[in-house]
Amino acid sequence: MTSLSLSSRQLAAQHRIADLQRRFPLLQVLALAVLYLAGALTVPGWTSTSTTSSMLVMAGLLGMAGIGQTIVVLGGGIDFSVGAFITAGAVFITELTSVDHWPMWAAIAFPLAVGVIGGTLNGVISYRFRIEPLIVTLGIGSLLTGVLTGWVSGAVSGTPPAWTDSAVSVVSRTFGLPVPPVVVIWLALAVIIGIVLARTQPGRSLYLNGTNPAAARLALVRTGWTWTAGFIVSAAAATFVGMLLAGNGGSNLTSGDPYLFQALTAVIVGGTMFGGRGDYWRTVLGALILTVVTYLLEAHNYSIGVQEMVYGLLIMIVVAAYGRERKIRDRV
Amino acid sequence: MIGAVRFLRSRPYAFALVLFVLLLIANIIAQPSFAGPSNWPETLAIFAPFAIAALASTPAIMSGGGGIDISIGPLMTVVDMIIVAVLLPHGLGAPWVVVPICLVLGAAVGAVNGTLVTVLRFQPVVATLCMNFILTGLATQIEGGSTPQGSTWWTDDLAGSFGPVPGGLISIAVVLAIWYGLSRTAYLRNLYATGGDDAAAFSAGVDVTRVRILAYTTGGLFAGIGGLALMAVLREGEASDATMYTLVALAAVALGGTAFTGKRGSLIGTLLGAACMYLITNVLSAARVPDTWTNAIYGGLLVIAVIFSAGLANATQARAT
Repeated sequence: MTSLSLSSRQLAAQHRIADLQRRFPLLQVLALAVLYLAGALTVPGWTSTSTTSSMLVMAGLLGMAGIGQTIVVLGGGIDFSVGAFITAGAVFITELTSVDHWPMWAAIAFPLAVGVIGGTLNGVISYRFRIEPLIVTLGIGSLLTGVLTGWVSGAVSGTPPAWTDSAVSVVSRTFGLPVPPVVVIWLALAVIIGIVLARTQPGRSLYLNGTNPAAARLALVRTGWTWTAGFIVSAAAATFVGMLLAGNGGSNLTSGDPYLFQALTAVIVGGTMFGGRGDYWRTVLGALILTVVTYLLEAHNYSIGVQEMVYGLLIMIVVAAYGRERKIRDRV
Repeated sequence: MIGAVRFLRSRPYAFALVLFVLLLIANIIAQPSFAGPSNWPETLAIFAPFAIAALASTPAIMSGGGGIDISIGPLMTVVDMIIVAVLLPHGLGAPWVVVPICLVLGAAVGAVNGTLVTVLRFQPVVATLCMNFILTGLATQIEGGSTPQGSTWWTDDLAGSFGPVPGGLISIAVVLAIWYGLSRTAYLRNLYATGGDDAAAFSAGVDVTRVRILAYTTGGLFAGIGGLALMAVLREGEASDATMYTLVALAAVALGGTAFTGKRGSLIGTLLGAACMYLITNVLSAARVPDTWTNAIYGGLLVIAVIFSAGLANATQARAT
C-alpha cells in the first residue's frame, strides 16, 4: 500500500516535471548555465568582452541559419537545402558586387529573389506531389549549388563588400553599443519571429498544420500555402545569412555546407521537434548551447573530429530525453 | 495511357530500365571505346562504390515510416579510412582479416541506427543524422592532418579484375546475392508489409521492430562492402568525400522507382538508377560538358525522378479510390 502511493506520487512528480519541460526549456537553460560556468572555471579569459562578443557572433549566425529550419520543422517538414541557399547568398553577394559590378541594392535583392523562388519550388513540389520534403530540398539544393558551381566555373573569384565584414566583425559596434550588428539583428529577428509564431494567425496555422494536417484543413487553414510559406521563409532567411557570412571568412562554394547540419542540431538541441512542438526561442538557446560547447572543446584543444562526434551525441541525448515518437502498438 | 501506367506501376524500375538502355546506346555512340571489354574492369570499379551506396540506402527507405539512412556515405568513408589508416599500416592486410572486420563494422553501425529508430523511437532522419555526425567526426579524427594512402594485392584486384572477372562486378554481385538470399525467406515480404502500413503489419503479427532493425542492419552491411569497393578504387582515405555519396545514392534510389514513403521499391531498380546516373555523367564528359555542371545535373535529375515516381503512384491511387 505504502509503495503504491509512493510510486503514484513519484509518477505525479514526473508528470509535473515533464509538463514544465514542455512549456519551458528548463533542461536547456540549465545545460547552458552549467556549460558556461564550466568554461568560466576552466578557460582563462572566458568572460572577457572579446570572447563573449565572438561567441555571440557565432551563435547569431548559427541561430539565424536555424530560423528557416525551425519554421519548417514546426510545420512538419524538413529543409535540407538551407546549406545551399546560404552558399548562394554568400557567392551571389560576392560575385555580383565585385566581379559583375551590380549596384548594391540589386546584389542584395537578387539572392533574396532566388531564395523566394527556390523556397516556392521546395514547398510546391513537396506539397503537390506529396514527396518527402527531405528528398525535394536535397535535390533543389544540389541543383542550386550545381548551377552556382557552373556559373563561377568552379571557384569564387571576387571579394565580399565591406559592409558584410563590419556587420559580423567582433570589434564593430551598433549605434555606439559594444555589440556587433549581427547580434542586434539576431535579437530583433528573434523577437519578431517569437511574436509571429505565438500571437498571429499565420503562426498558429503553422503549428496546427504541423500537429495534424488533416485537422488543420478542416479548421480552414490553407495548408498548402502555410506549408509553402515555411519553405519560402526558410530559403530567404538562409540567403540573408549567406550574405552576412560572406563577411565572416569570405565565400566559396562550400560556405554554407556546415550550417545545414549545425543549424538542424541547434533546432533539435533547443527542443523543437517535428510537427508543432517548440518555438524559435528554443532554437536561440540551442544555438547558444552549441556555441558554448564548441568554444569549450576548442579551448581544451579537441579536434574538429571530436567536436562533430559531440554534436552527434548531444542530439542523441536530447532526443532520447523527450523527442521520441509514439510506440507502434499505440498507433494500431 | 492507363495500360502504360499499370505496366510501370507493376514494374517500378521499367522507367529506369528504358533510360538505362537509351543511355547505354548514347554512350556507345559518343564514345565507341566504352563498349570494349578492356575498359570494363575500370568502369565497373568506379561504378561499384556509387552503386553500392545506393543499394545500401534502399532497405531503410523500403521499411517505411519515413525511413531513411543518411549515414551511409560517412559509414563507407569510415570503413575506407579504417582499412587505409589502421589495418594496412598494422600489417593486417589479409582479406580474411579485412573483409570480416568491414562487414561486422558496417552491420553493427546499421544495427545501432535500427535500434535508435525502433526501440528508442527516434525519427529516422534524426537518428541517422546523429550517426552521420559521429562517423564523420570519427573519419576526420582517423584521417588526422594528412590523407592516408595504401593498397594491397587483393584490393588492387578488386579495383581491376580477378582473372577474367572484373572486381567491381564481384562487389556488386555479393550485395545482390545477399539480397537474393534474403528474398528466399519471409524477410522481404515482411519488409514490404511494414513499409506499406506498419500498424497493419503489426496487427497482422509481423515483428515490425525486428524487420526494421534488420533493414538498417542490411543497409549497414552493404555499406561495409561499399567501403571496401571505395577503398579499392581510391587507395586513400578522404573524410570530406562522405556527403557527396548521400545525394547520389538517394537520387539513384528515386530514379530506380523506389518510393520514399515505403511500399514500392526494389534493389534491381536502384541498381538501374545508379547505372543511369553513372552513364549520364559519362556521356556528358564524353560530350565535353565541364565537370562543374555535374552537380546541377544530379540535382535536376533527382527532382525530376521523384516527381515522375510520385506522379505514377498518385495516378494509380486516384484510380483505386
